[in-house]
Amino acid sequence: MSSALTAPPRQVARPKNFETTAWLFMRYSGLLLIPLVWVHVLIQDVLVGVHAIDLDYVALRWATLGWRVYDIALLAFTFAHGMNGLRNVLNDYVRGNRTRRAFDWLLLGAWLVISAIGAVAIVGGVRPP
Amino acid sequence: MTTLRVPLEGSLRYRGREGQWAYLLHRFTGLGTLLFLTIHILDTSTVYFAPGLYEHAIAIYRSTPFMLGEIALVFCVLYHGVNGLRVAAFDLRPAWWREDRQRSSFWWVLGLSVVLWLPAAFLMGRSLIVHNFLGG
Repeated sequence: MSSALTAPPRQVARPKNFETTAWLFMRYSGLLLIPLVWVHVLIQDVLVGVHAIDLDYVALRWATLGWRVYDIALLAFTFAHGMNGLRNVLNDYVRGNRTRRAFDWLLLGAWLVISAIGAVAIVGGVRPP
Repeated sequence: MTTLRVPLEGSLRYRGREGQWAYLLHRFTGLGTLLFLTIHILDTSTVYFAPGLYEHAIAIYRSTPFMLGEIALVFCVLYHGVNGLRVAAFDLRPAWWREDRQRSSFWWVLGLSVVLWLPAAFLMGRSLIVHNFLGG
């Protein structure tokens, strides 16, 4: 028991496939999301607060190009990280290749459609009610 | 349905202690954040697609249950980030793959997450009381 735990780990060549890329993406995007999400949450939820947020506030923020770029990056990386995380969780529970493939297509579709909706809103900006 | 129920029950019954708790918390905080994120992308999109609806969405977020949820969300985001760093660090350092390191690292992660969360929870809690109970 203890010898198995103290033995030097076996070296394995990393296969170059989609799952390796997805695994690496979760690490790199996760590292990026720590400053990206934490700063967003600190400003909007903690310092500004939901009672100070309205259409004018969003319009004022998006008047600065830098914040729109920030929000596009936030949208792209958070949602891709989250949807791939959901795919990983489902792969743990969904048995059968056909069902799994159906879920994969469903997730891919939802990811693309919802990302597109968010991106159009950020690029289009606030419209008068 | 058994295909889903059995692993879920197993996850809660399996006595893996700290490693298992870290894994379960990582899943719940990740899935919870994703659920909120999906709603948040769609409600923010109303500023372009249906600006009249945005104020309604914000009014819901200003309610007490949603502000409490927001405080919980901040903990989810902090824990998921700190624990994610722990997972990535362990991936890179096989020398750390020892039971005692796994166990102590979980408590460090939980402690750091709580320390980061408390000041945020205080400020958000104060905002909740001032706006929803004191009419400020």
